[in-house]
Amino acid sequence: MGLVYALVAYGFQLTFATSKSINFGQGELVMLSAFCSLTLLGLGVPYWLMVPLGLLIGALLGLVVERAAVRLALEQKSEGWILLTIILGLFGFSLAENIWGRDDRPFPTPIPSDPFSIFGVDITWLEVSVAVGVFGIMGLIELFKRQTLLGKAFDAVAADRDAAELMGISATRTVMLSYALSGAVAALAGILISPITTVGPTMASVLILKAFSVAVVAGLNSGFGVVLVGLALGALENYASLQLGSGWREAPGLALLITALALRPNGIFGKATIRKV
Amino acid sequence: MKRFFLIRGAELAALIALVAVPLFVSNPFALGLLTLLAIYGILLIGLDVTVGYLGQVNLGQAAFLGIGAYTAGLLVAHAGAGILLALAAAFVVCLVLGALLALPALRLEGPQFALATLSFGALAVTVLNEWEDLTQGAQGLSLARPALFGQTLDAAGFYWLCVGLLALVWLGMKNLLSSQWGRAFEALRDSPIATDAMGVGAYRHKVIAFAFGSALGGLAGGLYAFDFKYLQPHSFTYELMVILLLGVVLGGRKSLWGAVVGAAFIVLLPNLLSSATLFRVFSIIGLIIALLGVIGGWKDKTALRFQSLAPVVAMALLVAGSFVVEHTEDWRKAIFALMLFSVVVGLPEGLMGFASKLLTRIFRLPAAPLPAASPLDAVLPRQQAEATTLLDLRGLKRYFGGIKAVDGVDMVVKAGTVHGLIGPNGSGKSTAVNVISGLYAPSGGQLLLDGAPLPVGSLYRVAGAGVARTFQNLQLFGELSALDNVMVALRDTYRLPWPLVLLGFARGEEKRAQAAALALLQLVGLDQQARTRARDLTYGAQRFLEIARALARKPRLLILDEPAAGLAHPDALQLVDIIRRIHGRGIAIVLIEHHMDVVSALCDAVTVLDGGQVIAEGSAEEIKRHPRVVEAYLGAAA
Repeated sequence: MGLVYALVAYGFQLTFATSKSINFGQGELVMLSAFCSLTLLGLGVPYWLMVPLGLLIGALLGLVVERAAVRLALEQKSEGWILLTIILGLFGFSLAENIWGRDDRPFPTPIPSDPFSIFGVDITWLEVSVAVGVFGIMGLIELFKRQTLLGKAFDAVAADRDAAELMGISATRTVMLSYALSGAVAALAGILISPITTVGPTMASVLILKAFSVAVVAGLNSGFGVVLVGLALGALENYASLQLGSGWREAPGLALLITALALRPNGIFGKATIRKV
Repeated sequence: MKRFFLIRGAELAALIALVAVPLFVSNPFALGLLTLLAIYGILLIGLDVTVGYLGQVNLGQAAFLGIGAYTAGLLVAHAGAGILLALAAAFVVCLVLGALLALPALRLEGPQFALATLSFGALAVTVLNEWEDLTQGAQGLSLARPALFGQTLDAAGFYWLCVGLLALVWLGMKNLLSSQWGRAFEALRDSPIATDAMGVGAYRHKVIAFAFGSALGGLAGGLYAFDFKYLQPHSFTYELMVILLLGVVLGGRKSLWGAVVGAAFIVLLPNLLSSATLFRVFSIIGLIIALLGVIGGWKDKTALRFQSLAPVVAMALLVAGSFVVEHTEDWRKAIFALMLFSVVVGLPEGLMGFASKLLTRIFRLPAAPLPAASPLDAVLPRQQAEATTLLDLRGLKRYFGGIKAVDGVDMVVKAGTVHGLIGPNGSGKSTAVNVISGLYAPSGGQLLLDGAPLPVGSLYRVAGAGVARTFQNLQLFGELSALDNVMVALRDTYRLPWPLVLLGFARGEEKRAQAAALALLQLVGLDQQARTRARDLTYGAQRFLEIARALARKPRLLILDEPAAGLAHPDALQLVDIIRRIHGRGIAIVLIEHHMDVVSALCDAVTVLDGGQVIAEGSAEEIKRHPRVVEAYLGAAA
């Protein structure tokens, strides 16, 4: 579970890196891509073909978010994107509610879910698949960001949008790309987690708050941090639901978020920025 | 007078109309809607404090409504409290909780702040839901409406109570926002750094504003509890929050009228959706308005394409949807989303922002007249220039990681002198000034003002000690008028405690502040542009306005950080003239400057920095001939 939080949080980091904006509707993106993938499976598309298609759908949705909610606000250098991405998320939620219904649905997967035991710990292949998927895509994207020229453009746009434009990098395109990647990451998170949690419109709101907590507690620019914090939060939640009852499951994470924000606004692994005038 | 009558008249007429309704209408449904209107009005006025004035997206107001509702409800159900006591308790509980949340959350900006409030909201609902011993959790809490002074309130009586409270909140907010408090709220939205540097205390004002807004949410929550007489934690979730934001944005930010218009919209919305025909009519009207916007945009050729087309697309979707979908109630959230999207993109100022512009144009409302400027001697008393040491830097250091930006600077500024601080780019001038003014804490060394240690690392406290500064990159309060920019910074002017401000006793103080600010604007030659918004001023005028604003601090030491940067020649001449006049008042000035002609014309003494260290000191003439200075500027002779 913790790793999926980390993956969704990583989606925030991707867009924050280029545009200092994050999609408040990321949870809905996860949910919509999961539903679309489910429909693809229902149409008879085999699982292994569904995964890339699902990622593509996620990327397209990410582009929609960028075009409709983020670009205008960035051009005006305002924070209107916060409100607009929330609105878009709400729209997506309603869409899902009406198209696929309000009930949670099971998500079939060819990966077996019977537990086996390593060093005395019971784990399932499903959980292994989550770990592989999360580390796989995060590794790929990090490699892309560090090794290719286009990846460097991410950093350039993040450092100074105008200067990057002068150097012939299209800031708009870079931001678009980051939103597409972020969408694909969200889609993968949806595909990975759905067999465990089932798919339903409400999965979005549960997921997003935790992913937010992870991203902010870890810092919005630390890919390594989200994995650690994600795992820690997953563990903390299980502990809380055992100790306090399942209704309280989310409380410690939320309290942790507010405290962490208060103590280290840039996150535990984030870099502090120096105020300049 | 015309202005006074129109604005007050409209307010009074609206109030009378609202109060009179129960006398003519006995329909309980209509009365219920109006009661809700008053409650949501209070709630949105509270929300507008953070969303409009602080400019932050606040997702916690629904939670405060819930907390207020439960506080009042539990007090009545368990302790048998009276209606006024319960409402006061709801107000106070949310005031305290709001302050507690604001203390950590308001150190954050933008998305992080939105997140913190969002988490608070989720946490509050969890607690209300799970603390079953107290709140009865998801089962809900039933209560009876308590009596007011022993009188049982019927629907009309309760309605009058709500309208009365709305009127009080309105009046209080109006008084508060037109005082120094409201100005400070807006100033810190535009530039928190400058707000601190002007001794206003950005953080303190933010926390108070947020707590006050939350308290209004709590008050509305109390009324909500007595209106519905049944509470459930799930009424106060994320969805309600989005609807509340819709109300504020649609009605218009930074506007009391906007909050009430937004409230009316929220109240009417569910009824709008319940009838398919009505909904169709309204969505078509929305589409027509959006299309008119496009046509208007084409005529002016000003509007951005996306900004006018996107609402049309959204509204067209809405119209199409209204004909296809049978159960509009199921699509409620999507409908909210489409409407909110169109408004945020197409009409960012909201309905009232748009209407107030239109009305000002139609009625040609003149701005309220300004008082005559006070004599400069009263505003900026001439200081006795004795040749004592005012500012004394001893071994000042500031490192950034391994970079030694300022590395052991000694500098003495005498009272009443103009002291130049020059050096090539990157020599540490700006860093030195930022350390003196408190933006950065020094890495080492001592700072003495008049022999006493200067506070370090806090713009606010340094400003309090009598040091004022301008900024190399302008930090004006862009949305405020030139006059307001100066008024925000005025020192020793606002003494009235806030309860009296709420009651409207600040008018006299305001007049005096205006007169004092005008005198300072006169000093820099901007008194004719007092009503112009700071960001609409020319570049030179903006530089001068920063100086006037710093002078409002009545400083002993004024730091001017490259005031001539980018100025055209005539403006630079005027700048020299302004600095001479300030010097004439006996204020010591530290002048950071590149233009040697300005420096030689003004400075009594000059310190030259290079590589974070002092390389020369002396009069302007001595400096010009100093071999190390020549070397630093022109490079070593081969």
